[in-house]
Amino acid sequence: MRTGLGSQLAALIGLLVLWEVGVRVFGVAPHNMPTASAVFRDMAGNMDLIGRGVVRTLSETIIGFVIGATIGFVFGSAFAVSRTLERLLFPLFIVSQAIPVIAFGALVVMWLGNDIWSKVAIAAYLTAFPVTVNTCRGMQAVDPQRVALLRSFGAGPWALFWRLRVPYALPSIAAALKLGISLGLIGAIVGEWFGDTVGLGIMLLQAMYNENLPRMWALILVCGAIGILLYAAFEAIERRWIWWKQEI
Amino acid sequence: MIDLREKQGPKRIAALAVCISILAALGAAPNQASAQETVSVRLKWLAQAQFAGLYVAKAKGYYTAEGLNLTINPGGPNLNAESLVASGADTFAVGGGTEASLASRDKKLPIVTLGMLHQRTPVVMVVLEDSPIQKIQDFKGKKITSFFTGLQHTVTAMLTNQGMSPSDYSLTAQAVSMTPFINRETDVAMVTLYNELNVLKARGVKVRIFAPDDYGVSVPRDSLITSEKMIAEKPKAVQGFMNATLRGWKYAIKNQSEALDIVMAAAPGLERGHQTLMLQEVGKLMLADTGTTEGLGALNMPRLKAAHDMLLNAKVLSGPVDFNTAFDLKFWNAVPAADKKM
Amino acid sequence: MDGPADSAAPPMLQLTNLSKTFDSGHGRLVALERIGIEIGCGEFVTVVGPSGCGKSTLFNILAGLAEPDTGAKILYNGEPRMAPELLGKVAFMPQRDLLLPWRRVVDNAILPLQVEGIPRAEALKRAQPLFVEFGLSGFERHYPQQLSGGMRQRVALMRTFLFERDLTLLDEPFGALDALTRSLMQRWLLDIWQRHQRTILFITHDVDEAIFLGDRVLVMTARPGRIKLVLDVPLARPRPPEMLTSPEFIALKRQVLAAIEEESIKSFQQVAEG
Repeated sequence: MRTGLGSQLAALIGLLVLWEVGVRVFGVAPHNMPTASAVFRDMAGNMDLIGRGVVRTLSETIIGFVIGATIGFVFGSAFAVSRTLERLLFPLFIVSQAIPVIAFGALVVMWLGNDIWSKVAIAAYLTAFPVTVNTCRGMQAVDPQRVALLRSFGAGPWALFWRLRVPYALPSIAAALKLGISLGLIGAIVGEWFGDTVGLGIMLLQAMYNENLPRMWALILVCGAIGILLYAAFEAIERRWIWWKQEI
Repeated sequence: MIDLREKQGPKRIAALAVCISILAALGAAPNQASAQETVSVRLKWLAQAQFAGLYVAKAKGYYTAEGLNLTINPGGPNLNAESLVASGADTFAVGGGTEASLASRDKKLPIVTLGMLHQRTPVVMVVLEDSPIQKIQDFKGKKITSFFTGLQHTVTAMLTNQGMSPSDYSLTAQAVSMTPFINRETDVAMVTLYNELNVLKARGVKVRIFAPDDYGVSVPRDSLITSEKMIAEKPKAVQGFMNATLRGWKYAIKNQSEALDIVMAAAPGLERGHQTLMLQEVGKLMLADTGTTEGLGALNMPRLKAAHDMLLNAKVLSGPVDFNTAFDLKFWNAVPAADKKM
Repeated sequence: MDGPADSAAPPMLQLTNLSKTFDSGHGRLVALERIGIEIGCGEFVTVVGPSGCGKSTLFNILAGLAEPDTGAKILYNGEPRMAPELLGKVAFMPQRDLLLPWRRVVDNAILPLQVEGIPRAEALKRAQPLFVEFGLSGFERHYPQQLSGGMRQRVALMRTFLFERDLTLLDEPFGALDALTRSLMQRWLLDIWQRHQRTILFITHDVDEAIFLGDRVLVMTARPGRIKLVLDVPLARPRPPEMLTSPEFIALKRQVLAAIEEESIKSFQQVAEG
């Protein structure tokens, strides 16, 4: 892991140097592509501002993710346990995914207003779907022989659920959570485009319409870094606690 | 990449998540207001100096003085202020302007326009200073871009007045960025006086300006709107909103530096230099023509009628709009002169 | 405790007229036909038969996981039982070890106790002395994937033994093991059985294994599954490995093989005619 981190860092620095040199050597106009140094200068000079945006957008992401993941787990489990529920409600989940976030976002603003909760709702909406699907599929894939074994021990539905279905589905749920946290971040950023004054999404819009390219790149890098860190955090959790494969 | 194998890791993350949720919940708790009318105003765009008057009125307590507990909701590229007011999600709005107000009525949305902030068309056409285009007739055979938010009809009308038909030039939608214009991928572009023109100036791009108002087309924009229901049920709140908003604008135009402090506090991501220029230009637009003779936010009816006829002519409107229901002048008329006359 | 139980005591398990028919798209498949078995308390009974003779179906019914056709009578400890009532009453070990990969060895072993509602600490206390006996001491904190096939099988057996029930069903527990490990496991199982005084019904398709372990050997026929032969094994216990080559053992084996042979030929002819 250490050597991996080292080489990744080296690759990152190499890429930044390439960017800086490339922009300078080819004389790319700053309104097409700013230099890396200009981007980092902007970042360093606006730490407060960006920090405030990070706190806001990250809060939206995490709260939205937690809510969305919970919804996904509950519905995914319900669908796995009850075929009737699955047939009844699962199509609705699929249809909901066909609604573009743009249309959905406008509705959410009408329902929830403009504070943090409308962004949380959009982040949760994007997170819930993959978690629902993977929870359901993971639990349905449970080995019937193991179900039979636990039943022969006298296990009821509750014990079967917590002692077998949930751990059995965890690797597949974990995969959905990794996807979900990334979608949650996108949801939070897009959610801010429906009106707000703080957050990385709103700063991106401001930078775009004021054609402040160094700021735009600074924000893109920050969003990317947050995305990577969240993903890595979940990957680490997964590697440490959810290492078993379903097919064993 | 991060090493979370340390035992406490996930617990800390969980604790952090819980803390954040609680903080957010506390922050989101509605402020208790005593016997005040709770209303909201939706902006047509992100919080910026374009809306300074409202932020000033809010910060200075003008709305509270009128018995209003008002929330300012910023807009964005995906929101339509007119629909939000029509649906009741917001009480008031700084709407798109003449085209949006008329189009809403045409679509039977119960939207009523109470005032108009920009007295002239806030967008102009620009060409690079070294361009061979010297006069408007030179637009013939050229590539023109325009925002397609209804403003394209202004361009068409302006050129029709000069004897050009749409087949004489190419008119396409304009991207967010001014870069294609600077790179000469297009000959004529549209800019707002308060934003893109300043972006060009900041980049040191010199341009020649063709303003629609100089060619017989004037489309006032940035309307103050509310719903028919609101006027019927809470006229007092509507009056209060008009009084406080215009009073706030008067203060903002007179005390621009202080107004900018207020705007910057509300939307800290903004760049002050850019906002300073924006407020200057918006001030000019608001004080133009009837803005000075009648007062801030005045509805210049002949001008609105002309714009209506132009849109009807362009078949943007399916039929004539009834001005008696689309516009309501009584609230603006009742705003004390001291609050609207500079 | 060797040999059949005292005839005065009621048999631990008595099956009469037990049939099982599956309706498939192509027609009916009779998996079991009029099975009748009596197993006494403390007895070690082995079931041997060709593949597809319905041995596993029989076990699933005894474990309460499947229902027999109507008309079957199951007496468990002298009381009539419906199949689902047997859930949680019989210690059942299927062919595959079916260990849960996310549980450590110790937690896999105590799983049935936890399902019963016994707190983990208490369950651990009960499991502790068994690790040495099952050759797992030092491996309590390992995960199943870290163990060899033989060890995994011992964990599964330990799990079955910890689930203390009057009847223990073992479905080819050593089927997947190599010959050497297998013979070690057989002697070890006999040892455990004698010490814990359990009643065991043991499925295998290895004739040597069936005779070496059992007090009685049941030979089953294939499709429909019927009891072809019930053979008492009067060999003395403890049984040393050399017994496998003794004349008495060979004589018993010949009888079992003859019964199986006859069955195989019959089914071969059926296939040829059909």
